[in-house]
Amino acid sequence: MTHPAVEAQLDAYLDGELAAPDAAELEQHLRACPECSRLERRRRALSAALRDQLPRFPAPDTLRAGVRAGARAEAGRTPRRRAPSWGVLAVAASLALVAFGSRQLALRGAAGEAITNQVLASHVRSLMPGHLTDVLSSDQHTVKPWFNGKLDFSPPVYDFAGAGFPLVGGRLEYVDGRPVAALAYSRRQHVISVFVWPADQGRTAGPRATTRQGYHLLHWATPAYAYWVVSDLGLAELGDFVALLQRGDSAAAATVR
Amino acid sequence: MESSELERFEAVVLPHLDAAYTLARYLTRNDHDAQDVVQDASLRALRYFAGFRGGASGGGRAWLLAIVRNTAYTWRQRHRADTLTTEFDEERHSESVADRHPGAAVEAQSQRAALRRAIDELGPEFREVIVLRELEGLSYKEISDVAGVPVGTVMSRLARARRRLEEALCADPEDC
Repeated sequence: MTHPAVEAQLDAYLDGELAAPDAAELEQHLRACPECSRLERRRRALSAALRDQLPRFPAPDTLRAGVRAGARAEAGRTPRRRAPSWGVLAVAASLALVAFGSRQLALRGAAGEAITNQVLASHVRSLMPGHLTDVLSSDQHTVKPWFNGKLDFSPPVYDFAGAGFPLVGGRLEYVDGRPVAALAYSRRQHVISVFVWPADQGRTAGPRATTRQGYHLLHWATPAYAYWVVSDLGLAELGDFVALLQRGDSAAAATVR
Repeated sequence: MESSELERFEAVVLPHLDAAYTLARYLTRNDHDAQDVVQDASLRALRYFAGFRGGASGGGRAWLLAIVRNTAYTWRQRHRADTLTTEFDEERHSESVADRHPGAAVEAQSQRAALRRAIDELGPEFREVIVLRELEGLSYKEISDVAGVPVGTVMSRLARARRRLEEALCADPEDC
């Protein structure tokens, strides 16, 4: 048996993939040839080192939650169930959103889908005990500076307590490949998560509404920020809240000017 | 999709999420892209699920890994500029420090770092056969299904990948 022939079969032999007669012939050769048996020992040592030392990467909990949420959201969109839920949503959306324009953001494809899943998963996770806020304060002058040094931008933080949407606090989240600010507001027993990060080159869009697993998600972009709002609050009240945020932003922009 | 179908999907896919993430992590070489790839792949898997004939007990892992693998390749094409990551530079530096301070623990750590670096320097078609065979223990037939190449190609890629890893790990041939 020649060395090239051994080399060609050795891996299959060690992986238990060589047919029995070929394996028997190879074994016979390995016993007789010190050079080839050295090769065999090296290959075995390499495989052992790879198995022992190469890291395995357990799927992060956020990914596991995202996959489940994505599957449930996708599975919920059957033709049979789609018509009524989207019909109702369209009516509600047109009532709630007419105040702030009806430009639709094309949010198709994997990227938009992934962000939708991420903000939804983040909101759902935040509702689990102890996850809602990293900084717990209804004072916007406490919450806003808390983000200093944690983000490369200073997120807009408002207090709408007067309008019935008190600020609860803020936390850091990781969405679409970057750290973002997540702010929690409340309305009666409902929690509203607001995700905000600097906008993509001043491209404005939205608002666009979608519903997943009983949560409403609204997305829009101002020249300065991309916004996602997630809540189980009714779409009409959520529309009021979004209008407050937008008014706050345009007031802030006017001050700068 | 019926809820029983969703349950069947979760029973087939969720147990293999670690394997899926590990493969994606080795192919993309960073955590964030790997998460996006697996998230994206799981949605694709759901769409193709009607065509999946296996059950919770068999075939699910190779089936999911094939989708993850294809998603990762599509991802690479879309983000070609990002394919050369520098995230292992740190280990590269720490290894040179380790070389100057020999010791058993340091040596083990340095071998680990050298292995990871050697893996990362392999082309993706070689990296994937190593991960699928050594970490996931897939048979040649399963690897051929996942990678979409004949069994003979799996065999020659594995042999070539291992030879390269041996060369990379063996600075001084006298020691090996």
